[in-house]
This record gives sequence, C-alpha cells and structure tokens, in this order.
Amino acid sequence: MSAAIRSSSRTSWRLAAGFAFAALGCAILLGGVSAWLLGSVAIAGLSAAAFTFNFHMAAAFIRLFAVGRTAARYGERLTGHKAALTDQIARRVELFAAMAAAPAVLRTGWQLGDDARLADYLDDVEDLDYARLRAGLPALTLACGLAILIAASAVLAPLSLLPITLLLLAILFAGNRVAKAGAMAWERTRSLRRGGASRLGAAMASAVPLKAEGAWSRECAEALAAFSRADGALLGLRQLQAVLDMIGTTFGPVAGISVMAAAWHAGRQGTELLPPMLLAFSWIALGEAMNGASRIAVAMLRRNAARNEIGHWMQAAPAGRPSSALDETLPRLLRHGALQRRAPDGRAIGTPISLLLAPGQTTMLVGASGSGKTSLLKQIAGWIGDDAFAAGDRILSASERRAQATLVLHDAVIIEDTVRANLFAGDAPDAALWRALEAVEMDGRIHEAGGLDAWIRQDRFSLGEAQRINLARAWLSSRPLMLLDEPTEHLDYEQGQRILERLLAHLGDRIVVISTHRASSLRDARTIELQP
Amino acid sequence: MKTPVVPAPVPDPAAASPGAFQALASASQLAKRGLRRLLCLQIARSALRLGFAATAAMAVGRLVMAEPIASWLVPVTIALLLAACIAGFAADRAQASTETAVSIGLRERAGKRLDETPARRLQSLSVGGVIMSMQRHPEAIAGLVVGHRAASTMMAAGPLLAVAALFLVSWQAALLVICLTPVMILFFALIGRAIRRRADAQERAYGRLAGQFADRIRTLPTILANHATSGEEAKLARRLEAYADNTMGVLRIAFANAGIIDFFASLSIAILAVLLGLGHLKLAMVPGFSNLELWQSLFILMIAPEYFAPFRRFSEQYHAKAEGLAAAGALDRLLDTEEVVAKPLPVLDVLSLELPAHGLVAITGPSGSGKSTLLRRLAGIEAGGIPALGSRRLTAEDIAWVSTDAYVPEGTLAGAISWNAGAVDPNRLQHVARAIGLLDDALLPGGLAARLDKGGANLSGGQRLRIAVARAQLCGRTVLADEPTAKLDPGTAGAVRRMLLEISTRRLLVVATHDRSLSGAADITFDLTHGDTVEVAA
Repeated sequence: MSAAIRSSSRTSWRLAAGFAFAALGCAILLGGVSAWLLGSVAIAGLSAAAFTFNFHMAAAFIRLFAVGRTAARYGERLTGHKAALTDQIARRVELFAAMAAAPAVLRTGWQLGDDARLADYLDDVEDLDYARLRAGLPALTLACGLAILIAASAVLAPLSLLPITLLLLAILFAGNRVAKAGAMAWERTRSLRRGGASRLGAAMASAVPLKAEGAWSRECAEALAAFSRADGALLGLRQLQAVLDMIGTTFGPVAGISVMAAAWHAGRQGTELLPPMLLAFSWIALGEAMNGASRIAVAMLRRNAARNEIGHWMQAAPAGRPSSALDETLPRLLRHGALQRRAPDGRAIGTPISLLLAPGQTTMLVGASGSGKTSLLKQIAGWIGDDAFAAGDRILSASERRAQATLVLHDAVIIEDTVRANLFAGDAPDAALWRALEAVEMDGRIHEAGGLDAWIRQDRFSLGEAQRINLARAWLSSRPLMLLDEPTEHLDYEQGQRILERLLAHLGDRIVVISTHRASSLRDARTIELQP
Repeated sequence: MKTPVVPAPVPDPAAASPGAFQALASASQLAKRGLRRLLCLQIARSALRLGFAATAAMAVGRLVMAEPIASWLVPVTIALLLAACIAGFAADRAQASTETAVSIGLRERAGKRLDETPARRLQSLSVGGVIMSMQRHPEAIAGLVVGHRAASTMMAAGPLLAVAALFLVSWQAALLVICLTPVMILFFALIGRAIRRRADAQERAYGRLAGQFADRIRTLPTILANHATSGEEAKLARRLEAYADNTMGVLRIAFANAGIIDFFASLSIAILAVLLGLGHLKLAMVPGFSNLELWQSLFILMIAPEYFAPFRRFSEQYHAKAEGLAAAGALDRLLDTEEVVAKPLPVLDVLSLELPAHGLVAITGPSGSGKSTLLRRLAGIEAGGIPALGSRRLTAEDIAWVSTDAYVPEGTLAGAISWNAGAVDPNRLQHVARAIGLLDDALLPGGLAARLDKGGANLSGGQRLRIAVARAQLCGRTVLADEPTAKLDPGTAGAVRRMLLEISTRRLLVVATHDRSLSGAADITFDLTHGDTVEVAA
C-alpha cells in the first residue's frame, strides 16, 4: 500500500469513526433529552415555574440532535464507504500481485478460471473488503456508547448495574457462541458447497455417459442435496443469530427499566427522577444500535474464514516477484542432457530425455493425451521444476528461462479489455498489430468488432477465435524462446496448418517448441515422441 | 463494490410459455405458508412492542409525576417486553427456516428440470454457470419472496399499527405523522429516479470496469504467460480507482434514501417533543397536544419512531430485491432455453437396425456424419426418431457407455472401475485393470488404490476411457462406445481394442469409430459416409 493511499485511508476511517460517534451520540441524546424535556415541562406546568422555563433552549437542542443524527448518519455511511473503497483498491491490487506470484497459477488447470470458483473467491475478497465497515466500526461505536451509559448509570442509579451487567454477560456469552459455533456452521456450509459444486461439475462433464446409463438423476440429486445441506448448515448459523438478536433487543428496554427502578428504589421523587429518565431513554436509544450485534459477529467470522481461504492461495509463494525484464541476448542453443520430466505435482514421468533446442529448427513434442506434453513445455518454460539448461557457455535457470520464454497456453483466454491490450504488444505500431491479426486470419473479425480499440470479452468469441488471438500474441512476442501448446487446437485442419506455417516462418530466428497430439507434416521439424 | 441499484431484468409474464420454469412463481408458491406465519409473528412483534411502549410510558410518566402506579403495571410491562422479544425471535427463526425451505424446494424443482433436460443441451451449458445457478440462485430468490415480501407487507402493516396506537392517545398526533408520509414518499420517488439515472450513467460510462478485478484473476495464467503482470497491475489500480470514484458519486445519492427516512424519523420526534412540551407548559393550546398526561406524551414520543422503522427495514432490503430478480431471471434462462437444434440427419430417421444379441457393430463415417448422434439415439438420450431396433430395445439399465468423458467418482481407482458395475469380484477387477494397462501407468501410481481427485481432475481422457472400458467389461451390459481409440497412443489403443473385441464375443458392442482396425473386425458396419444411403456389410 503506498503511503499516500494509506494516509488517505486513515483519514477517511477517522472521519467515519467521528461521524459514527456523532450519529450514535445524537440518537441517544435525541431520545433522552426529548423525554427529559417532557418530564420537566410536565412538572413545571403544574406550577408557576412554567413561565420561567427555558423551553426554547431545550427545543433548539432537540432540533439540533434530530438534524445532527440525520447528517452524521449520512456522513458515516459516505465516509465509511469511501474508506472501505480506498482500502479495497489497495488490497485488491496487492492481492492481484500476490496471486500472480502464487505457485498454483503455473500449474495446469487454473481453478479460478472457473466461474463458480471465481464467484466464491470474490465473495471472500468482499468479506475481507467490508469487514471493517460492517464489524469494526459499529463494534467500536457500540462499545464507546456502552461505556458512557454504564458510567452514567453507575453515578445515577448504581443498583441498575446489576441487571445491566448480567444482560451484557448474557450477550457476550451468546456472541461468543455465535462466533464459535457460527464459525463451525459457516465452515461446514462452505465445505458442503464446495463438495456439491465439484460433484455437480463432475456430473455435468459426464452428462452423456450418465444419461445413457440412467445414472444422471442420482448423481445430480446427490450434488444438489449437498447444496441443500449447506443451506441447512447456514440455517443453523441464522438460528444462532436469532438467539443473540433476541437478547440484544431486550437489552435497551431492560436497562432503561432497571435505571428507573433503581432510582425509584433509591427514593428519588419528582424532579429527582428526571436525570434517570433521560438515562433510561438513552438506554432505549442505544438498544436500537444493539440490534446489529449478530451482524457484527457474522461479519467477523466471515472475515476470518475468508482470510484463511485466501491465505491458502498464497502458501509457499516465493517472496520476490520473478523478473520479467527481457534479456536481449538470444541463446543460440538450449540443451539439457538428461532432463527428468515431471508432472505439475513434482512426480517424475518416464525416463530422462535429452533435449537440444536450436533456433530455426522447430521441435515437435508428439504424444497421446496424458503423455505429459504440456508439463514438459512448462518445464522448458521454467514454470515447473527448477532444472538448469545449458545455453552456450551459460547456465539458464528456471526463472531466467521464464523471463525469456513466451508460453502459448492451449487454454489461454481473452481478457476483458481492448483488442490492443489483448495482444500484449506494448506500444507496437498499429500496422504490426494488424499484420499479426492477418497472419492468424482474425483481421476481418476484429474489423467487425470495431478495430484495435474495441472492447472485447471472452464470451463473444468462439474457442477457435480465442485460440487465433492467442497465436497473434505469439506472433507479436519478441522473446527468444517460443513454446506453443497445441497451437492448432479448436481450428480446422487446413486453417491450423496455414496459420502455423506462417507463424513458424515469422519466428524463424527463435527457438520454437510445439506440442501436439496429432503428427503433422511440418518441414524441417524434429519430432520427439513422448511416452507416459 | 455493489451499488445499491442494479438494473434487473424484469420477467415478462406474457412471454412465459406453459412449460416455462418460472422460478419466481414457483418460489412464491413454496413460500406461501411460511410467509403467512412469518407475517403473523412480525405483526405480533409490532403489536407487543407498542403494548410495551404504552405500559412503559405509563409507568415512567406516573412515577415522575408521583401518581399512584397500579400494581399490575410493572409486571405487565416486563411481560409485554419479553413477549415482544420472543415473538421477534420466532419471527427471525421463521424467516430463516422459510427461506431455507424455499431455497431447498426450488433447487429440487430445478434438479427435476435438469433430469428432463436432454444430454445434448446439458453439454452446451457452461458448467460453472450451472453450478452457480444451482448453488446461489435459489437462496437469492428465497430472500426475495420471503424476506423482501415480508418487509414490503410490513411497510403497510407496521405504520398502520403505530398510527392506530397513536390514535388512542391523540388523533391529531396520528394525523401529523400520517401527513409526513406522503412528503417522505415524494422525496423517495424523486431520489429513486435520480439514483437510477446516475446508476445508468455509471453503467454506460464505467460498466466495463465493474468486473476488472475478477477478470484479471480469472485470466492470470494468460497474463503471466505474456509477461504482462506489472503492466496489468498498474492498469488495475488505475481502473479500480476510477470505478471507485464513480461509485462514490452514485452512493452519495443512494444514501440520501436512507437519510430521508432518518430525517423524517428524527423530525417527527423533534416536532412532537416540542408540540407536546408546549402543551404541558400550557403556553400554547395546540389541539390534541394539550392537557395530555405525561405518560401519554411519552407514549407518543416512543411510538413515532416505530412508525418509520418498517420503511427503514424495507429500504435495507433493496439488494435482496435486485439480487432475487436477477437470480430468477438467470435460473429461468438456464432451464428454459430451447433445445439445441441438432443438425438434421434424415438418414438416421429412416434407419432400421437389426441388432444381434452379441457381436461387434461398427458405425463409421467422417466427422459430422452422425455417428455419435446415432449412438445417442440408440441409448434413447437424443431427441429424434429412435431407429427401429427389431426385437431389442435398449434401456438405461442395460447400457454401459464408453467414452473419454466417462464419469469418475472421487476415491480410489478400484472404486472408479467398479462404480455402477454391480457386484464385482476383486480378482476379476485386478485382472481387468491390469489387462487394460491401468495398473502399470506411470501417471497413476498406486495400482488399484491410486487416489483419484474430485471429478477425476488428475486423469487424462485416455485414462478415463480405459476406466470406462474396464467397467464395461465387468458389468455385463450392452456396450455403446464413442470413439474409444481416438487420441490414444498405439499401445493403449491396442489394449482397448483387444478388450472391446473380447467383450463383443459375449455381448453386443456398438462402436462409433474412425479406427479401421476396429471397424474392420465388425460383424455389421453402418457407414454414414454418404448422407442418403447407409451401407450395411455383414
């Protein structure tokens, strides 16, 4: 978080806290002073004191509190959201950088590429973003209000502290239960939802076999039942909340009654009862704020769960960020005598192979599905494993190769942005961008979409079109090591070959490695057969 | 950041066809009984709270004025307070359990709907979208038809009760509060319009930036592969800031909504306190506000905020409405879309198949000629004419389906092979798994105890297919196989071919395939190469 943002966030939070205190204070005083005024004038009205009673002063105060409460609440909402938004920006940018460094991104099958998982993740991020606004700020103001009124009660009606303390203890006890049992219920909800989601996902992926074998309705019903059990667990949490809220709503009135009863018990009469009455009505006004107690508890437990979950992504993330500075020196030859192939989870695959990658000569990795082609490409790219390759008289470590390689993933996607941003070509001239789009036969489609500065999204493009945009990125890349994973997937055969030949001719001076499951007839290509 | 106003698609009742899912109508129907109970409890809570306010005001007023207090008053006050809290507790629980019941019921109906959905349509749906719909949308819709509905009804019932209570003490005070309401509603309408205008303007100008964080997280591997992390980070910061600035602009107006309720609630207290005070001082004779007992004026003071509370609760439900409507629309769209129209394949409609009790039947032809469609029609899971089958008719119970998208439950390899295959002899399981090469697979170490992830995430298509073949071998049913040897390395393809041929000596095996060495061994071949004729070779 930059210093400027941090200080602006701190100022906003201070302001929000100030408004929150003012709003609560005005609300309490509005209730209390109005009641006190009525009591005083009722007593004064009995005698000649009515004519000397300074009514306008009190009435002015009441109007002040009324307007003050409205204004301060508005200010509290506005500055609170402003503070939360300021924090949100900083946190999300930090989170993006941290996620980019998380090892999970480099493995196969990016989990947050899936809509349902992404939605869960965003919920967690939002629970973190708003925890302070939903829990921290109201808890702070409530605590201060409580402290002041308890102090006043101790002075005016000490005996009332007994029921007030008892009830507060009950609230703390119930709150603690919500925090503990509620956290468990929430954890159970989350895990049931995850289980149901993966089960439904598996059933959806096998819809045809399941329907054919008559097993669909059973599998689908079980997945949905997991969601419904999650709803049930959530119901448990809400019922705990209801208990806390019930005790919370009794608090204000009971405190008020206690104060009046204690004052009466102490023998106060007539005008002596007016200050306790002010206090009693203040307690009732504070009781309104107490109604949010269960929401505060839930916001806190959700924040903790979210923090935990997001923390999982960051586990084992390397401290420093990989340098993506482009090393201008092109390695002439990249060699590894006995490369032990590894699966993304680190398991060894097959026997070590010898690799010799040279510019100008395309290397094809051919193998059946599951033979580890993508993993080997990622290993060469330095995304998985920490193998060192020889490059002439130098040694290129995995992170150095990462900086030099462009990895064209077969499941690469379109980012929601302009076409220009999607090509990742920095400030390359328009003509170069169009040439790249022509080469992958996407120029017509992009013209149609509105040119280089048109805003595009994933769902407007077919898989084949997304793949061709992906190949245009490769065309525009200037990195010396070019690794293409199934570059012709989702394209029909002739178009795939045409584009690939154009691309290879354009990348003539680079080291190019292609993985494919179908052998093709590329000239001058060296083929490596991969066996599992 | 959610803005308080989300333009929600309004479902058009006229467009709903008789077979439409109509999530909202279903949910309302499911909610009916629970909602009635919830409303009764909420009304009881409001009435009891008013009763508490009346008795408490009476006790305090009389105490201050040194008037005698009836001995029943204090216990009744406390009893009313406790009863109000218990009614509130019961109402909260009723709301939670009704919403849960509606959500579960709606999900069951949606599940039935998915059962009726043809496999081809299921395949065309986005998996993530279906999961989101089934998990989240029923809950959001339940919030709309229960919580929001109750709050909007209470907006009528709550103030009515409060006014009735005021009326008992001073009809003029009741009138004053009622008179404030249209003014408040007028402000509401004005501000509501302003919010919508502002939100629409934001949507037009900044709508693109709304999901930027989510999008960049979704596309992280692509960004990383293109070395764009730091550039995207800076851009993200800029865009989030621009969006947040604009959101604050919308919020400034949106919060005015809550501000108005606050203002009128505060204002009513202030006006009433001043009028009542003047009445007590006997400085001004305001009709309805003079000659009142202290307890009566305290009572009026306590009731006035109750009048406005339901409005506040309702305005807090704004999200529930927008989210519920959006969820209902999404669920309807998901479950109602027309059947994906399959490419017409007239040749299949006139096809008459005489399938033998055992043997290998091959369906051949180029991609798109209808091989898989014919196979699905045989299984009865594809709309369109089921080819005449002679004396036999396949039912789901005697079909084993072999393809690369075979279902694999989470657990061990042994469990996956014997899933849905009836009682399996462990020795045969071991034998079959070895024959198909699943036990010496370097990518699946651990033999039969090998751990399979959820959804078979750690399996390749080839491994899935071999599990399906082994399962088909064990279960003794008719086998329908869709391209069983494509995308396999030659060694594995050979093992799959051998096992399929072995199955075909005892049972019927229908295979859609490009693989010459498999179709060459067929007893009967249906060639769909030419769209209008079918060559049958025995």
